[in-house]
Amino acid sequence: MKKRYAKSWSLLTLALLLLLTACSGGNNNPPNNGGSTTPSTPNDNGGTSGGATELGIMWWGTDARHEATNNALNIYTSQNPNVTFKTEAMSWDAYWQKLPTLAASRTIPDVLQMDAAYLQEYVTRGQLADLTDIDLSGIVDDTVIENLKIDGKLYVIPLSQNAQGMAFNKEELEANGIPLPQPGWTYEEYFQWARDAKAKLPDGKYPIGDSGAWADYNNYQVGMGGEPIMADNGRTFNLDKDMFIEFYSTYAEFREQGIVPPADRSAAFQENDPQADPMASGVVMTRGATTGSVSALEQLMPGKIGVTTLPTGPAGGGWAQSTIFLAVNAATPNMDEAKTFVKWFITDKEAGKALGLTRGIPISAENYAELEPTLEAKDIIGKELYDLALEKAMPFFPVAAGYSEWADNYVKEMEAVSFGQQTIEQAYEKLNKAGMEIASRAG
Amino acid sequence: MFKKENNLAGYIFISPWLIGFLLLTLWPITQSLYLSFTNYSMLDVGAPTWLGTDNYVKILTDDSTFTKSLTVTFLFVLVSVPLKLFFSLMVAMALVKSLRGMNVYRTAIYFPSLIGGSIAVAALWRNMFGADGYINHVLSWIGIEGTAWISNPDTALGTLILLNTWQFGSTMVIFLAGLKQIPGELYESASVDGAGRIRKFFSITLPMLSPVMFFNLVLGIIGSFQMFTAAFIITNGGPVNSTYMYALFLYEKAFKHYQMGYASALAWILLVIVALLTLINFVASRYWVFYESDGGKTK
Repeated sequence: MKKRYAKSWSLLTLALLLLLTACSGGNNNPPNNGGSTTPSTPNDNGGTSGGATELGIMWWGTDARHEATNNALNIYTSQNPNVTFKTEAMSWDAYWQKLPTLAASRTIPDVLQMDAAYLQEYVTRGQLADLTDIDLSGIVDDTVIENLKIDGKLYVIPLSQNAQGMAFNKEELEANGIPLPQPGWTYEEYFQWARDAKAKLPDGKYPIGDSGAWADYNNYQVGMGGEPIMADNGRTFNLDKDMFIEFYSTYAEFREQGIVPPADRSAAFQENDPQADPMASGVVMTRGATTGSVSALEQLMPGKIGVTTLPTGPAGGGWAQSTIFLAVNAATPNMDEAKTFVKWFITDKEAGKALGLTRGIPISAENYAELEPTLEAKDIIGKELYDLALEKAMPFFPVAAGYSEWADNYVKEMEAVSFGQQTIEQAYEKLNKAGMEIASRAG
Repeated sequence: MFKKENNLAGYIFISPWLIGFLLLTLWPITQSLYLSFTNYSMLDVGAPTWLGTDNYVKILTDDSTFTKSLTVTFLFVLVSVPLKLFFSLMVAMALVKSLRGMNVYRTAIYFPSLIGGSIAVAALWRNMFGADGYINHVLSWIGIEGTAWISNPDTALGTLILLNTWQFGSTMVIFLAGLKQIPGELYESASVDGAGRIRKFFSITLPMLSPVMFFNLVLGIIGSFQMFTAAFIITNGGPVNSTYMYALFLYEKAFKHYQMGYASALAWILLVIVALLTLINFVASRYWVFYESDGGKTK
């Protein structure tokens, strides 16, 4: 009797041991790549072995971008047979939800796409490798490189040119006899245009949208000659009370007069949603747009839109520069291969052809020149916006590290103002106090 | 004689579950308790700094968003749980009758609950209650101009409560099972004694159903406190934080603003709140829940 138990005992222990080893074996493998497509035969061991390297690479974007990128990676493998890729492609939202988890478990892929909005956060936490020694002269403008440096070091390779401006509903403005917005318009002209346009528009249509995002107001404050709200990597904070109150008082007045939509309409807008987009739904005549995003709007209302600059002040308005990048994991075992690859990604002619405009206007002028004759309307309008924005462009102001929550709260505080739950002064006091606190901690 | 070995064998048999529980449930739980006393952010490369009770003190004394989201959540629980219990009991009562084809009705009515908690339904809700949504379209037939339900701070929470109530399926099924357990003799003898339908409901159905009601109440409260998907998809907490549920607040702290330590502290506070409420419910249940096995004595 006892013997039989002992026998089953050892059997079970064995099974258990097998289970445990299976578990730990799984843990040694490279991080999961759910939903990934591997462009060529991967080296299953991951990492370097026998001269072969597998680079992990992750990006966000649309299907068109996924396909183009996979093609480019195949080209790289055919040129460098010892390097293969393990790819992960997903949507913007999924990407920024997944990346922090990978960062926490130290499993960021070797090469990753990065956005200006998140760059400082990841650099400050030491997640990205220093790429200063990659020679980009002749490919990327020196001033562009200098603008991208954080505390003197370059952490990202810019992929494309991007710019911020405005799109307007050309067809409907013309139909109502309203003059089209002129590039380089000042804030004064912008507000006056809105008042005049309102008089000619039918009920339920609005010339301009409400303003609630911090970047919107920052464009005003800096454009009018003030300091940027966040500067010096978040160590100084400057929210100008007089300008703040003047700017939002104008919008409060516009809300009353029906020049901007009522608060509950504004709260329901969702950009690039066919029904809920402020412009595509036919409700608002203008809205902010970027080179990278205006093609989506053009596809929603083909042939109907025109582009212009953001309203400007004496110091300018809007920005025109790279906002999407490739970065390298600071802890990658394949540092050299990763650096070689990211440089290739923006320089190689064949890659340029394969990638097209899936990440905006290519940063390499040579590569763009090759593409220019083949562009479609949705791409041309992005380039047009870029060219217009260039003249008055100010630097791009990202959310400084530690301010992401403040930026979110900004929208909520301004929403409370537009719903009449608090005054502009009250919103100012709260935002100023919170911002000052973050700056003092960062210093 | 073999007792000890029997136990061991048992443990080994459940070991796949046990290992999963220890590694994937218990370990993360203790880890989050530790993290709640630190400033851990997912992006930090080094070890997190120990803060002691700083996170808890800040949450409880100096965080207006905490107070706001907790108020919103309590309001949501307070309205949606009773509403859902009432509604699912009514539906269960209607479905307990034996008619021809009743099983088809039951399936049809339960069907929406199969997809109830999903993102697709949340997106559908957004379209229904939008300014140009179906609800306003129908209202316009009778001359009412509806508001933009989900983007108006006065009505946004209401639409979420409605959605939660509409997802009555599983609560209803449990009620249905409870109703079927009630012996028919009780109703028969009450009829003989001349009791009407209302009297029968309050003197037989409700007391006999009270343990099931209690079960649904406790589960409903716990579930509603963790309400997330709809608030995230439909309103994203807005407008003006009017639907900023506690779980959404916690999620944004952790995964959007990378304040994992702070978020862990929020999670533990939620656990304590829900545990306390459940405890209160259990104590209170002695006064209204009727167990036949106790011989019908109320304690």
